[in-house]
Amino acid sequence: MSQEYDSRVNMHLDINNGLDRVIELVHTRLVESGWRDQVRLACRQLLTESGSSNISSVDELISTVTPKARSMVPDAVKRELLHEIEMILLNLEKAGYVKGFEDS
Amino acid sequence: MMPASGCEHFHRFKTTGDNLDTLKWIYLVFVVGSVSHLRQMKFCNSFCHTCRNRGPHLHACLECVFFGCHRHIRDHNDDAGHSFSIELYYGQVHCASCGDYIYDTDLDDIALKNRMQAKKFHKRLFECISWDPSEEERQLLTNQTKKVCVTPETTIGLRGLINLGNTCFMNCVVQAIMHTPLLRDYFLTKHHYCKSAQMACLVCQISELFQQFYNGEKTPLALPDLLHLTWTQATHLCGHKQHDAHEFFMATLNLLHKHYSENTQNQNKTVHHNNTGNCLCIIHQIFTGGLQSDVICQSCNGISSTTDPTWDFALDLGSVTEGGRSPCSLLDCLESFTKAEHLGGKEQIMCEICGSKQDSTKQLTIKTLPVVVTFQLKRFNSSAGVKISTAISFPEMIDMTPFMSKRKDELPVPSDNRYSLFAVINHSGVSAIQGHYVAFVRHHYTYWYKCNDDIITPVTLKDVLASEGYILFYHKQVLAYE
Repeated sequence: MSQEYDSRVNMHLDINNGLDRVIELVHTRLVESGWRDQVRLACRQLLTESGSSNISSVDELISTVTPKARSMVPDAVKRELLHEIEMILLNLEKAGYVKGFEDS
Repeated sequence: MMPASGCEHFHRFKTTGDNLDTLKWIYLVFVVGSVSHLRQMKFCNSFCHTCRNRGPHLHACLECVFFGCHRHIRDHNDDAGHSFSIELYYGQVHCASCGDYIYDTDLDDIALKNRMQAKKFHKRLFECISWDPSEEERQLLTNQTKKVCVTPETTIGLRGLINLGNTCFMNCVVQAIMHTPLLRDYFLTKHHYCKSAQMACLVCQISELFQQFYNGEKTPLALPDLLHLTWTQATHLCGHKQHDAHEFFMATLNLLHKHYSENTQNQNKTVHHNNTGNCLCIIHQIFTGGLQSDVICQSCNGISSTTDPTWDFALDLGSVTEGGRSPCSLLDCLESFTKAEHLGGKEQIMCEICGSKQDSTKQLTIKTLPVVVTFQLKRFNSSAGVKISTAISFPEMIDMTPFMSKRKDELPVPSDNRYSLFAVINHSGVSAIQGHYVAFVRHHYTYWYKCNDDIITPVTLKDVLASEGYILFYHKQVLAYE
């Protein structure tokens, strides 16, 4: 059941490039709000403070920075993301699958 | 551009069989995702085979059909002994033998071709690459004859100012204002709609002055209108006497703020909050910082803090630092400026908690830093008319973090408080009553010019740093968002 539900949600998100659009939107918002610069600064700070001895690979850097970075995502961005996804799912729930794939 | 060659493991990998074709295909379908009939496939397969999540950092194994999130792709690397995986959002290839992401020219080629062919423009895929113009593009560029080439010798933005009779105090401040990066950007991009007569509004005049400065002409300018406006609006600067550049600077900021608020008030009601310090005018946005003053009572340890907005930091030169010597650098001055000061004897302060006068300590710290920090080194003792000519060294770059107030709510990432020098105003002459003002301004990043009224000469940074600074202008290096 849950898997079937999952695939339906996936279908929803895929129609009209919904997911792509949302991802691109969040990406833009994160850049605009300065989040990306902050994360960049945090990475730089980590590397200079701990030296290359403690953080030796990108993977390690990611796992160290991720919790901090997540906590810094502005609430407005989260709200907008939630709203966008809701809109996509609601609209498609109403319209059914009639729209189909935009460029197929 | 340097050719990047990945690790030896990848070299072996890409020369074996049709591995590179597989990579190309995965890139095309999953990273760029513009093959329309395969989009559904991308969609149905983009989840971690272990935990069924769509991320974070979904990778595809390049040696078998396996997709995994960041954690599980690494598990797969270990379990199956497969070295290479590709991150599906940005298209970076990871080598497990090296334990890190790798860079390789062949990979870059594949990436670039695929990005270019994508039907849709993906911003994320173009952010990390530099533009390497092709032969054809180079040709096109050379055929465009109209170009403005900014070289270190470019003098656009440099204009001398004629001395109208002891107006060097005005000229040097105007030079500093004209070379404030953020003010320049503001005035050259934003049109100022004004209701009052042109002559009566300082914002109009400064706006016009920016146009004059950056229109490419070289003849010196005379500023009678600006002087007239100052005389009528700031009467303490009136007359042909010599005046203090710092007073003029403060008066200018005040007037700019006042005229900005007055002339735009009716169009936009939200502009006007000048009493709360939250004014939206460009002057307040750039120059306002906050000074926190903590008074700690010695008997009850109660702290009372107040924060006051400020436009500049006036630093004493006469005071003695902890080592018992006079300050000889800007950092010394700032240290003594933010040092706890004992208030005893006659200076006892009424403590609200104890309800009586008590010995206490008072400490100033910087609560918020403005984008442009100006330091006035108090070289003039106004009562005695004596000038302190002590050499005070100042750095090109300064980190203000040590002088900031300690915050209780520590931010997850400390803010970047580095500032760089962009203008210096000097006073030459032995007394406060007589002398001459000269401004040093940073024109290009490392090119400095000395503006002595209508004579402008190039100087080195060393000359600037060795000069006897009076007002120092620092600009924030990394602008934060709000």
